[in-house]
Amino acid sequence: MRDYFPFFKRRQDITYLDSAATSQTLYTVAEDLRDFMLDHKSNAHRSGNSMGTWVDQKYHLSKELIGKWLNINHPEKRIVYNSGTTQGLNDATQMIMSAMPSGVVFIGIDSHHSLILPWTQSGNDKWKVVFIELDKDGRIDLNDLEAKMKLEPLAVSKVIAVNAVSNVLGLVNDLDAIKKIALDTASVTIIDASQIISKRQVNFSGFDFVAWSWHKVYGPMGLGCLLIDPIWLNFNPVRPGGGTVTSVSKDSVTWQTNSGKFESGTQNLAAISTLPKLVQWLIEHQNDIEVHDISLAKIINDQISLAQFTPTSKTDSGLLCLDPAVGTVEDYTMMLDAKNIMIRSGKLCAEPLITQISGHGLLRLSWGCYTTKQEIELALDSLGEIHARLSRHVQRAV
Amino acid sequence: MLDFQDMFSELFELEDQLDKYDWIIEYGAVAKPVFSVNKIDVNLVKGCTSNLWVEKIEGNIYCYGQSLIVQGIASMICDWYNQASQNQQMNFSLNTLTDIGLAPLLSMGRQNGVANLIAKIKTL
Repeated sequence: MRDYFPFFKRRQDITYLDSAATSQTLYTVAEDLRDFMLDHKSNAHRSGNSMGTWVDQKYHLSKELIGKWLNINHPEKRIVYNSGTTQGLNDATQMIMSAMPSGVVFIGIDSHHSLILPWTQSGNDKWKVVFIELDKDGRIDLNDLEAKMKLEPLAVSKVIAVNAVSNVLGLVNDLDAIKKIALDTASVTIIDASQIISKRQVNFSGFDFVAWSWHKVYGPMGLGCLLIDPIWLNFNPVRPGGGTVTSVSKDSVTWQTNSGKFESGTQNLAAISTLPKLVQWLIEHQNDIEVHDISLAKIINDQISLAQFTPTSKTDSGLLCLDPAVGTVEDYTMMLDAKNIMIRSGKLCAEPLITQISGHGLLRLSWGCYTTKQEIELALDSLGEIHARLSRHVQRAV
Repeated sequence: MLDFQDMFSELFELEDQLDKYDWIIEYGAVAKPVFSVNKIDVNLVKGCTSNLWVEKIEGNIYCYGQSLIVQGIASMICDWYNQASQNQQMNFSLNTLTDIGLAPLLSMGRQNGVANLIAKIKTL
């Protein structure tokens, strides 16, 4: 699959292991972005000319194909384009708060800040935030979730907000079980799918909101999707504006009846124009992508028995975090960069979890469908070398 | 009152990036008196992923960083600053470090650590 990604031909010097932050770009996406800007730039839904129609067709086709890819009926009622996961999760929070004046949200402690902050910093003190702890393996503890839900009165509105895969642990949470708990307790659900969407085929039916960013799925920057349950079409948009309505008078409005209701203003049409070919490619390669992800996770789990690093956990998918015994993560990241190996380090925008497991930053190696076994091995070998190098310095200093 | 580049000419002459990091770490490891720096909030440099403290002790500025590389670069900055003229101190900025040629160090610095260290040193 590596041949589909021009980056690896153009930058043969680089070992790219930061795909959890952003993936490299499928060749059709790069070509389509260029073509849109040079040959097709026009606005959708309001131009009334052939160029605008071309953009309209891309917009509608992209939603149809996403529906096919994720096995979703009526995608025109369920897929909302936005700028990315963060906007999707903020919009979901605002929609819930506008529909329900008060309640309790149960948030996974392994969540990214973009799932936590819309609730904790909303300024709405009628919503209580309760964190769900992890089980001994590092996945959302379903017993903790159920126990904490039972402490709240039955009549209180409840929301369950979790990620599908933690961007620190790489563990797949049990979404089916979470869906069942939500059903049993009449809870609204929000799923941050940003780390799973490029790796695994997931059944998202039955969830109220599912958010992801396309730049993590081999696609363009600045484009995300919020998958909504159609019931939310009964509520007003949190960001009303152009494109969300069918008619407006001085004192009334008729909202759109499809998901365009929540897409105010001109969308990132250059990015959207790349989706038909990208999603078609994802449909054709979904099985290979999943098999590759599982195989790299197994390789890294098997090989990370390096005594000088403590993995945060075994990984299921996409990434592994390590806590070095000598030096800090900054030292490793900078020295790996000197070897043209690109990884990420720090608190990974998941400080509540990091505070629990280490209290300081971690090294994160993450991969995509283009990553080779040799690249993972090179990174592990290099980490070992750097550890030896840093250890020598520390011993000399002592 | 040497220029930054003159004071650390040995580092600037190295070509291999790992050798440069080794040199910087080695420099930080022998810097004194790092353990005298009080690790208290008022001495903490904001914005570093790992902690870095800086303090003026008996007229000279010293630092202590948890990261070996950050400790090295911070020690270099402190040592140079302690001997620099007032004019050199006033004109000192992140750009002074550009010629070291370690992009991650500087990109990290632009966002937080090293830039904040320089700003803090100038207030001491």
